[in-house]
Amino acid sequence: MIRRLLVLLALVLAPFGAGTADAHQQKFTISTVSFNGRTGMIEIAHQVPVHDAEHALVVQRTGNPNIHTPDIIGSEDSREAFARYVTRRFLLMVNGEIITPDYVGSEITGGSLWVYQETPAPEGEALIRLNSQILTDVWARQENRVNIGGGTAVTTFIFRAGDVPQAAPLPR
Amino acid sequence: MRFVLFVAALLFAIPAHAQGIQQTKGNYEDKFRQLDEVLPDANTYRNASGAPGHEYWQQKVDYTIKAELDESKRRITARATVRYTNNSPDSLPWLWMQLDQNIFRTDSMAELTDAFGGPGRRGPKVTLGSGAEPTKLSMDELRRQQAMADNQYGYDISAVTSLAGAKLPHTIVGTLMRIDLPAPLASGETTEFVIEWAFNIVEEDAVNARSGYEHFPDDPRKGGNDIFLLAQWFPRMVVYSDYEGWHNKEFLGRGEFTLEFGDYKVDLTVPSDHIVAATGTIQNPDAVLTAAQRQRLETAKNAKEPVFIVTPQEAAAAEAGNPKGTKTWQFAATNVRDFAWASSRKFMWDAQGVKQPGAENETVLAMSFWPKEGGDLWKKYSTAAVVHTLKVYSRFSFDYPYPTAQSVNGPVGGMEYPMITFNGPRTTLNKDGTRTYSLAEKMFLVGVVIHEIGHIYFPMTVNSDERQWTWMDEGLNSFLDSVAGYEWDPNMPWTRSLPRDMVSYMVSNNQQPIMTQSDSVTDLGANAYGKPSAAYHLLRDTVIGRERFDFALKEYARRWKFKRPTPADFFRTIEEASGTDLDWFWRGWFYTTDHVDISLDSIYRLKMDSKNPDIDLPRRREERAEEPEVVGIGLNRDQKLPIWVLENPGVTDFYDKNDEFTVTPKDRKGYTDFLEGLQPWERAAFDRAVKEDANYYVLNFSNKGGLVMPVILGLTFKDGSTEKLNIPAEIWRRNSREVAKLLVYPKGKELVQVVVDPDWETGDADLENNHYPRRIIPSRVEAFKDEASKSRVSRDLMGEAAGAEPDKKKK
Repeated sequence: MIRRLLVLLALVLAPFGAGTADAHQQKFTISTVSFNGRTGMIEIAHQVPVHDAEHALVVQRTGNPNIHTPDIIGSEDSREAFARYVTRRFLLMVNGEIITPDYVGSEITGGSLWVYQETPAPEGEALIRLNSQILTDVWARQENRVNIGGGTAVTTFIFRAGDVPQAAPLPR
Repeated sequence: MRFVLFVAALLFAIPAHAQGIQQTKGNYEDKFRQLDEVLPDANTYRNASGAPGHEYWQQKVDYTIKAELDESKRRITARATVRYTNNSPDSLPWLWMQLDQNIFRTDSMAELTDAFGGPGRRGPKVTLGSGAEPTKLSMDELRRQQAMADNQYGYDISAVTSLAGAKLPHTIVGTLMRIDLPAPLASGETTEFVIEWAFNIVEEDAVNARSGYEHFPDDPRKGGNDIFLLAQWFPRMVVYSDYEGWHNKEFLGRGEFTLEFGDYKVDLTVPSDHIVAATGTIQNPDAVLTAAQRQRLETAKNAKEPVFIVTPQEAAAAEAGNPKGTKTWQFAATNVRDFAWASSRKFMWDAQGVKQPGAENETVLAMSFWPKEGGDLWKKYSTAAVVHTLKVYSRFSFDYPYPTAQSVNGPVGGMEYPMITFNGPRTTLNKDGTRTYSLAEKMFLVGVVIHEIGHIYFPMTVNSDERQWTWMDEGLNSFLDSVAGYEWDPNMPWTRSLPRDMVSYMVSNNQQPIMTQSDSVTDLGANAYGKPSAAYHLLRDTVIGRERFDFALKEYARRWKFKRPTPADFFRTIEEASGTDLDWFWRGWFYTTDHVDISLDSIYRLKMDSKNPDIDLPRRREERAEEPEVVGIGLNRDQKLPIWVLENPGVTDFYDKNDEFTVTPKDRKGYTDFLEGLQPWERAAFDRAVKEDANYYVLNFSNKGGLVMPVILGLTFKDGSTEKLNIPAEIWRRNSREVAKLLVYPKGKELVQVVVDPDWETGDADLENNHYPRRIIPSRVEAFKDEASKSRVSRDLMGEAAGAEPDKKKK
């Protein structure tokens, strides 16, 4: 009963039953939000340790009856489901307007799941307001780092469960 | 007068941060300043080369423990005799113990300081947007809250007495306890005391404790079964060291453990049908194993592959049955810094001997214990991964120092103790009753076993202080587990922790230096695992070179085997044994939050001036001819404007036949005078340079990331040939912000393209400014769009191929 109640409360995520962080789960993500002058787009790249993503998927219960097993690396369906979950947990406003960036895709390199999004950048200055709550509803100790800007000079925010959004101008 | 003094004090007060050497004019920053002003002074306990000093000492603590597991109450009751030997030169009026189970008390410092919105917060969350998502509690948070509310956790210490039974005064301070001795314990002396305790075992899945029980409600036995993983389960002595005295650092959850070596005799009384895995070796096999099991264990010592000690059939029968009373398993372990164990009737058990000719333990038993939920994944790969780890790690350090190396499956994702590790990955149960797993789960199992067994070397044997410095063991172990991973299967996508994988973390401006106490670090995984691992890969493959790095690492392991190294000992040993001044590297990577971004800003090409007017002036004429015509002249021509000299061809003089590059006798005399004015050695050098007519290039670099690094250049020449040039980091020693480098190539070898760090060795954050001429480097999103990922490695292809459908409700 309590399980059913919590499923309602937590909507998409159930408790993690296959083990805990300790020496292995890193429980952090890094997202980079940057402006691409060539394409005129705001690009978002989320980096999630594969190990965390896979184990989160075990408990994710996506609601998709076709997804049963934790197979974050190779299963298109699973990876895409998790990637879309990541995009839902990353909340973005540009110049005061809530934006749902387009989902570009996901891939795995160097032990990380990368999830890509993009959205057209506005003319002139862009004030980015965002909140990265990826996996904070799975693990209480999740920490999400967001770099605003590409290359060397970035502004960084760290988000944990329940944190409020932060804002910074997007460097061009 | 008093006012004057006050003003004078203000004027002459030196800010706290301005102590020591200062650059008081200009902006010179010494990235190569030696670390001796930062590192602790060498002494007779730890010498200046990073080795144990000639008077090195450490305490010794031996434990004799009798413990009983009450399965139904999930409670441990135990009694220990602790024998403490004071090898320090100091007299000790009291002893301190660690009561780590007290972290689970609701009034513990860890619970009370769990900051709102912090990494351990358990309150309701706030989300962006108005009503886009409801306020909600995560199930993880709720479950933990309920477990803490429903159970009383923490130690019940019922007695602390002398061997004779006299009560010893003791004071509990959070996760620490001071025991006052009847008389100070003199240097070289030993004391013994008795402690009795009990505690309720936490449910690991609910509380996340590095140990605890896991319940299996769907097992055939009425009421189900449990797996018990017991760690931090007895009061352990706090370390007393030469550099910190008593290490009284409250257990806050992140910083793990710092412990003394000693010998253990442990009797574990458990239900009679349980199988127990523990630190050490079984002392009473006749009492706890069947004759067949004892025979299988003997066979395993010389087996080429794992041999079942408890078969799947035996485990299945036990899982469905009930105990007939209890059994006491007796274990002994020599020279270990901790003791952990696991107990369950669900365990099957396999073993394989690993031979180490000439070592103290010539045959090591690599063993695994797992429930049916581990399935074929564990049968095929757990013990195999243990064997592989011993082979690779021993090559980098020393022979495996203990008689057993064990991997146990249970509710803990991954955790290490002497001779025993807890590892989480499992199979998926399908509706048709079969068990399958994805390739990723296989990778996780092999990876976590390598990592945790690797910890038996670092820090279980090379005994660094985990409570203070997570990076010391985790960084080294992440580095070595990636080395071992690639030697297992180079095609698996291991978590590499190479510099290129750490760029987004290293550029972020809200991070701590690696040299930060473990409990204060944000993103501990990136800070203490990934970044130091990336640093060691860089040292090994780029800065020092494999042979000397491996030699130095092995020397560090050899020097500090069964001893307690500090960061300074590590830095000094690697530097000394490799013969490389690495103070700049430690300073940049471990003491700052700089990152790598070296920009190649410009390249100037120079030609050797021969001074001979008959050579240089025609060459300059040619260069002038290659310059584009002045735009206005061309426009005049297009407009057909009259040009005076063309319309007056009869009016000419010397300058119509000679230009500014015409050689005059004065030019030639000047050349002759120049040559005659040279010293003989100058003349020889000059003549040779003119003859060779080499190509000279000046490359201008700027350091935008702050971290000084070797400047690695990929050079492409006009003839299509390529070269790689590694300029040591010391090029930045006089100016860490910008530097120029002259490169000389013979006549005909013209440079057409230069790339900084062409193989992405250093983790350079901005690749566009690495190229000269500049080129467009696609962003990650652009690159992804060009080539979509096609990986299939983690799919449960095994299950899909068999048409199996996973059962989501059962483990």
